[in-house]
Amino acid sequence: MAKIDTLKEEARKLLQDGKVKYIIGYGAGSNGWPAAPLFIKQPEDVDKLIWDPTCIHNLVRFLVDEKRRKGKEKPPDKRPVGIFVKGCDSRAIVVLLQEKFIERGDVYILGISCEKAGVVDDAKLAKKLAGKKVITIEVDDENRFVLTTAGGKIEVPVEELLAERCLECRANFPVIYDVLSGEKTKRAVDKPFGSVEKIESLPVEERWAFWKEQIDKCIRCYACRSACPMCYCDECVVDSIQLAVSADTTADEKAGRIKWIQRSAAPSENMIYHLVRAIHLGGRCIDCGECERVCPLDIPLRLLNKKLEKEAKELFDYEVGFDPDLPALISSFRDDDPQDFIR
Amino acid sequence: MKRTGVFVCHCGINIAGTVDVKKVAEELAKHPGVVHSEDYVYMCSDPGQNLIEQAIKEKKLDSIVVACCSPNLHETTFRNAANRAGINSFRCEIANIREQCSWVHKDKPRATRKATKIAHSAVEKVRQNESLEPLSVPVTRRALVVGGGISGIQAALDLANSGFEVILVERSPSIGGHMIQLSETFPTLDCSQCILTPKMVEVSKHPKIKLMTYSEVQDVTGYVGNFKVKILKKPTYVDPAKCTLCDECTKVCPIVVPNEFDLGLTGRRAIYIPFPQAIPASYTLDDKNCPDISTTIACGKCADVCKPKAIDYDQKPEVIEEEVGAIIVATGFDLYEKENMAEYGFGKYPDVLDGLQFERLLSASGPTMGKILRPSDHKEPKEVVFIQCSGSRDPENHCAYCSKICCMYTAKHAMLYKHHVHDGQAYVFYIDIRSGGKGYEEFVQRTVEEDGVVYLRGKVSKIFEDKGKIVVWGMDTLTGKAIEIDADMVVLAQAMRPSKGAQELAKKFKLAMDKDGFLAEAHPKLRPVESVTSGMFLAGAAQAPKDIPEAVAQASGAAAKAVVILSQERLFHAPTVARVTNNLCTGCGMCVAVCPYDALSLKDGKAEVNEVLCEGCGTCTATCLRSAIQVKNLTQHQVAEMIEACLGG
Repeated sequence: MAKIDTLKEEARKLLQDGKVKYIIGYGAGSNGWPAAPLFIKQPEDVDKLIWDPTCIHNLVRFLVDEKRRKGKEKPPDKRPVGIFVKGCDSRAIVVLLQEKFIERGDVYILGISCEKAGVVDDAKLAKKLAGKKVITIEVDDENRFVLTTAGGKIEVPVEELLAERCLECRANFPVIYDVLSGEKTKRAVDKPFGSVEKIESLPVEERWAFWKEQIDKCIRCYACRSACPMCYCDECVVDSIQLAVSADTTADEKAGRIKWIQRSAAPSENMIYHLVRAIHLGGRCIDCGECERVCPLDIPLRLLNKKLEKEAKELFDYEVGFDPDLPALISSFRDDDPQDFIR
Repeated sequence: MKRTGVFVCHCGINIAGTVDVKKVAEELAKHPGVVHSEDYVYMCSDPGQNLIEQAIKEKKLDSIVVACCSPNLHETTFRNAANRAGINSFRCEIANIREQCSWVHKDKPRATRKATKIAHSAVEKVRQNESLEPLSVPVTRRALVVGGGISGIQAALDLANSGFEVILVERSPSIGGHMIQLSETFPTLDCSQCILTPKMVEVSKHPKIKLMTYSEVQDVTGYVGNFKVKILKKPTYVDPAKCTLCDECTKVCPIVVPNEFDLGLTGRRAIYIPFPQAIPASYTLDDKNCPDISTTIACGKCADVCKPKAIDYDQKPEVIEEEVGAIIVATGFDLYEKENMAEYGFGKYPDVLDGLQFERLLSASGPTMGKILRPSDHKEPKEVVFIQCSGSRDPENHCAYCSKICCMYTAKHAMLYKHHVHDGQAYVFYIDIRSGGKGYEEFVQRTVEEDGVVYLRGKVSKIFEDKGKIVVWGMDTLTGKAIEIDADMVVLAQAMRPSKGAQELAKKFKLAMDKDGFLAEAHPKLRPVESVTSGMFLAGAAQAPKDIPEAVAQASGAAAKAVVILSQERLFHAPTVARVTNNLCTGCGMCVAVCPYDALSLKDGKAEVNEVLCEGCGTCTATCLRSAIQVKNLTQHQVAEMIEACLGG
């Protein structure tokens, strides 16, 4: 498992020299685990930073909030924000750069490689611990999770506890960074789309029944939208009620809002919400799995995005979030793009 | 309060046969805000238009919907009528109940219901239409002609003689195209060079024509009336002003390469003049074949013997920018390579020629000075087989289309062969004889009857070399007999293809191509010389296979179309263009990337529309994740209302 001592030192220096506004990293969770996002402004707080397999969050979402905050600052503090990223999270930064939402100078990226492991699935871990309180979670040299509890050590093969997305991961180390800790060794992925293929193999009626049941659960709390680093539109299609009003918004524009979707959590409206969200994330989702993690109803939202990721790969050989200079999928066209759908 | 009028057209029985137009008018009268609704047999007729104008004035209508044929046909008619009656023309919408309803349905009650919904949705749309005024832009009154063959020459001359400046760009060192390679032209047997060279000279001496040979168009931006063109002028390393055409340089040049002008039948030096009457009359040092020009040490022999010091090794490629108002693309054709013909020996037999090579043999200025001799042994061939449709009309293996001119030139080849070799025998294998054209059929008849050419109806299955002869296996389908001919020479009437590089050129110019790679016209019948891009016109074989008279006629047609633009002070542009809602735009730039007209750019982190370039296609709207860019008079809000009207909700 990668050590973050060098990154901590770098973070301390950055804060001491005033090179960054603040640093977003991981600190101990209130209940021991999982780790929680940590914002530090003082060099002495750097020691609170941690790195272990419970650092599940994609912190890139906070860059969206930062951009909003910066817009209101007078005068704006133009220093970059330091941010700890895993491989998957770094791809989110690439997409934000691609979409010109942030500039490269807005962030100072402290990259950590997941090397051969990844992060845990909190549900699987809770089950494994069966109520025991965990003190530390580490990955040992033989690539096993070592859970230290008050009652002793438990060793578990990584596959057993890894989050589903880590099993299908395509970027176990950051693709963009300023400093990096850990090895840049690719790991073999057997089935990058295993979970999608599983559901694709079901007959259409069963698939429909599955999704109907899942989507019916949705209470439209919009936690998925709030956690997603790509859901940064000022006005969302589902609640055009909160039209982004500014000084130059005309009365006609205010009157011209369209309610494409009802706000009630009716099944058909839920379905439209999730499908629109999935399509808006086509060619943009980097599979950090935050939407699914934060869903209080455990709707397998990752699957929807993963399906579109698979389509993008198979139809256009497009992989999201590896090259900030590449045009976004929906804004690029090649003569040899498949067009057999045109009859 | 909105006051909308609805006018339902019968279009004779075109619409009324399938749609109960009276019922549509009655239903629409109930639509809230519709204060006038009527039907009439032909709305586009003068009385029909008068009806609309009267109703607008009498009922004080503020918007109208005409339920009729496609807006492609009569939108302008009705918008003008609305304008005459005093309302903005963009307050008129068309509900297409013919192409999108009556023509595609049979069940009258259901078609009537659909027509009603289409009209309802158009009423909802027109309600929210803004009153718009056309945008106008000044015109750059010069033209660009791409391609210096007969089509390009004719178009350039017609434009220049109409008083407009013309830039004629040709990628090879001389203008003249394929026509200058030909011997005599059917059906009158005029010498091709004799009729073309006067036009070439006229081009070179014309004060309004700027001739740029050995040049290629690199980039085209802008729009009708205001194109910006970048032209790459390749170095010839010879100053035409100093060159006296003494030909001393070619005598010392050590490099010999196949001569393109004679299609490889002869060689030329690395420094060369394509043919004696070349325009401009100057030599070109071909830097792809002169091995030393790229390095610092040139062999220098040509410069040594050049008395007027016309050779300048330091010439560099130059990019010249020009502004023009209209563009004519006349990039011509190339022959489908005989290397593609497996059944005819992949072009490996020297005595199997293609049509253009045979033209060079026939030409008085050709490699044999007009004598017909076999390339392999320089003997006069006594039996010559001509194979038509070689590569044409063969959808399985080669080109599916008919190359149109081969029947005629093969007849000419066979006839001219007989004029040269009186005791020789010519055979022509054909599928059909297509000789539509003034004097064409008579010409073919003459070939058969007076010159005794044997026409065999059938295809040749195989040719191969055997003991110095070319054995031709064919079939005469009229007698049902297999035919074997020991020929001395075979001439393949190869299919015509768009010239090499036409595809890249089409991309640069944003021109559409048809399935065979020829440039696509805007409408096959009514707009045959216009391209799909406004302000760009097509001439000659770049658009489809055609013979000289047709190419010349199309070139003159394209020139006339260009004059329509160039003769105006200002051009008008539809105002239904994209508009950005600034507070929703995040400046991601996806719309900029997808815009096919380069009409969008990012300014201060927001998208900005160049209204003159925008064609209102809506690609940006479809791409924008935030609905921050919408086309005027086709906003999301309008679409939402239209959907609702269609759903009956």
